[in-house]
Amino acid sequence: MRDYLSWMKDILAFTKEQMREIDSSSLLQLKNISVAFGKLTAVDGVSFTIRRGDITSIIGPNGAGKTTILKLICGLLPLSQGEIWFKQQRLDKIPPHHIASLGVTQVFQDIQLFSNMSILENVMVGCHVWTDSGFLNTGLKLPHAKAEENKIKEQAISKLSLVGLEQKAFMLPSHLSWSEQKLSGLARALAAEPDLLLLDEPYGGLMATEIAMLSRLILQLQQDGITILMVEQRTDEALEIANQVVILDSGEKVADASPTEIRSNAFIATNYLGGRVKGMSEVHHAASK
Amino acid sequence: MDLSIVLQFFISGVNLGCIYAALGLGFFVVYSVTRVLNLAQGEFVMVGGMLTATFYSMGVPIILSALIAIAVAGLLGGILHCGVIHPARNLSKATQTFLTVGFAFAIEGIALLVWGWEYKSLPNFLSTPNIHFGGATIIGQTPWVTGITLLAVTGLFLFFGHTLQGKALRACADNPLGAKTIGISVDRMSLYVFILAGAFGGIAGAVITPLTMVSYNIGFPMTIKGLLAAFVGGITRAEGVILGGMVLGMAEAIAAGLMPSEYHSIFAMIILMAVFLCQPHGLLSSSGKT
Amino acid sequence: MNKTVELRRTKAEYLILALVVVLFLSIPLFAGPYHLAIIMDIGIYAIITMGLILLMGQAGQLSLGQAVFFGLGAYSSAILTTQHHFAPWLALLLAIIITGSIAAGIGRAVLRLKGIIVSGVTLVLNLIFSYLVLSLINLTGGANGIVNIPHLSPVKLIPNSLFDYYFLWIVAFLLLAFSLNLVNSRTGRALRTMNILSGGGEETAQVLGINVMKYKVQVFTLGAVYASIAGSIYAHHLGSIEPDIFGAHLSLLVAIMAIVGGMASPWGAFLGAALLMGLTELLGKFASVVVSGPTGAYELIAYGIILMAVLRFLPQGLIPLFQKLPPQSRHSK
Repeated sequence: MRDYLSWMKDILAFTKEQMREIDSSSLLQLKNISVAFGKLTAVDGVSFTIRRGDITSIIGPNGAGKTTILKLICGLLPLSQGEIWFKQQRLDKIPPHHIASLGVTQVFQDIQLFSNMSILENVMVGCHVWTDSGFLNTGLKLPHAKAEENKIKEQAISKLSLVGLEQKAFMLPSHLSWSEQKLSGLARALAAEPDLLLLDEPYGGLMATEIAMLSRLILQLQQDGITILMVEQRTDEALEIANQVVILDSGEKVADASPTEIRSNAFIATNYLGGRVKGMSEVHHAASK
Repeated sequence: MDLSIVLQFFISGVNLGCIYAALGLGFFVVYSVTRVLNLAQGEFVMVGGMLTATFYSMGVPIILSALIAIAVAGLLGGILHCGVIHPARNLSKATQTFLTVGFAFAIEGIALLVWGWEYKSLPNFLSTPNIHFGGATIIGQTPWVTGITLLAVTGLFLFFGHTLQGKALRACADNPLGAKTIGISVDRMSLYVFILAGAFGGIAGAVITPLTMVSYNIGFPMTIKGLLAAFVGGITRAEGVILGGMVLGMAEAIAAGLMPSEYHSIFAMIILMAVFLCQPHGLLSSSGKT
Repeated sequence: MNKTVELRRTKAEYLILALVVVLFLSIPLFAGPYHLAIIMDIGIYAIITMGLILLMGQAGQLSLGQAVFFGLGAYSSAILTTQHHFAPWLALLLAIIITGSIAAGIGRAVLRLKGIIVSGVTLVLNLIFSYLVLSLINLTGGANGIVNIPHLSPVKLIPNSLFDYYFLWIVAFLLLAFSLNLVNSRTGRALRTMNILSGGGEETAQVLGINVMKYKVQVFTLGAVYASIAGSIYAHHLGSIEPDIFGAHLSLLVAIMAIVGGMASPWGAFLGAALLMGLTELLGKFASVVVSGPTGAYELIAYGIILMAVLRFLPQGLIPLFQKLPPQSRHSK
């Protein structure tokens, strides 16, 4: 009997090990997720997997459910159906701050810097996840809190210099240009040392030179081992740096492939790439003609 | 249990409930349109009660005294809007709420200057004697409280449901931005609701004075009682506020009948606090709306 | 370079702190008992207000319930010493635990609500507390309150009032130092992220890993603990307490002190408390003599007008007037 048990244990351990190996390349898995706001289904049965170290771009017309998916991943919206897995852990049952502590951070489309804090302080807030000194510790300025505060400051300054903003550390967000605000938001997210970085329209409102710079920065982050999932309207730029492209339309997944495959598909290229992005209704209209 | 006791509970419960509802509705009308919590609401009640008593003691007939007092309370609501809230309309709702606290303190101070520490009282309206009915005793003022509150509430519903201004107010409450785009002046609407809230407070003050004496400092306690009714039922809906008031009145009446006197208020409070903590947005809340 | 500016500023802050401490310790040498009593009142109010400033100014949670926790502290201390014969200092510590636990429970329930609704609900707490105190006569003495509360001073080397004075102000300054540390730390920053009144955002805070609800409840509890400490000192100092003191008026007055002083910094508590108490003294002394009228009337009017004026014209309170550069330009330099 005992032998049988230990044998079962071995088998289980073996399968677990194998599963981990199979899964080791995948960091995030969306399994058939749906979300509905009242009668409106914003995301409808979407599944895809993001591999560790990749840059994945989600593209699609307005209202396709792209931003909703990012919000679902970081727990700001509840799922109606489906599962989200991150590093063998289920995300869709835990609160957003817990998800953040597992290594997922998002930069919002509108950045949402804290306007009551300097840029440096904003980035320092990013270090919250990997520090732990609480009220008593910080209020009494115990050695632990002091040491942490120094580490936080160091980290914040290093992330600010990574995005080239160390000169603006003591300014308030309102005194920065849009692109500087975007970079501050990125620095704040990076200060958390995330494994998975969610970017909502990182190129929005930027000029060509700024876009090129941001692309280089994102590629550098990829080199540093950060997996990136971005949502973007600018399809050309999004395809250029991506390893994987997911196309969404009206809450449904239309395609999930490499940029080359996406570009070579005539249907997708005419309807979802370049210039203006058409919506599903227009696609149906074109197809029926 | 004796039927007459049940009847007694019911009658005093409805009576107290009407008072709570009247106190709470003042919050509702202002909050629904402006999203400001008017913490000076109780001062309107105080002014309504004190003025009615003052005019009555000067020999003015009681109904006329009450009408004048209600008008003055409404005017005071208008002053609060024009002098304090309107100039600060671009500031946050939190700031505007605290502005009403400042106004309340000022009014309370002025009331103390004018009336001193003296408590004022009134006889029952038209000196209605106590009524004995089915073994229960109904205090003569009770029908007045219930009747006038019901009249005011009916008036409010008719106003909101059937007049152009009322519909405009509802539009403001549902969607201020949308209301603005179709040409409704949100500023004017918010003036109306402050006047309305003032008058509501005045009515409550006039009708309760024969039951509980009033003095310059009853404002904040009245504010809190109204808030309680509004929160228990859900401040976003008039029906909620009325229901909250009724639940509160009933609980207090039953507690008063069944428990030693020193415990009755606290018993009612604890029940209601429990309701309110389990259902944080009130019994009749539109889901999650704050 | 900028970094040094920032550091020098906090150093200056601590220098001022040291100077003020010395000043306050030497006051009893030249002030009479009457003025000492006023300065003690200021200290009591300042401690309660400081707790509120952490809650409102940092975390942006509008609370109008500080008097409840002040009362809980005072009654806990009074009941523990008079009925259970605890030593006063032990009673003070137990009062902190009692008040803190109650506040944590209330906070967990109330802080699920948003914005100004929280202010309304916490205001209601005042009424519930006063009903409780009036009802539980065996415990609280009802409307008569509690008398013969022992003094804090363990051995009688100096007069009780002098001991209380020193004890109060040392506690006040320790709490100030604690608050200043807190504001300039990981905790303070986390609190400011949820301050929707001034540029915070709860969603962003959560995405950055901050447990918003936990921090709200903790800071609410901390604010209550400040009030509880003030309440205990108050009860032991006066030797008797009555329920009238711990009402909605006190909660509102404390909120006015916080707003008038300025909520961005814990210093605002001292400024607000000193200003309003000073004003009360002045009006109490002169107004009823110069222009007749019942005492208290002019104070109420003045509180109201000052609150409205500060909210309209000095939304940051008086604190920025005492800083060399307003916070905005300080950061942009």
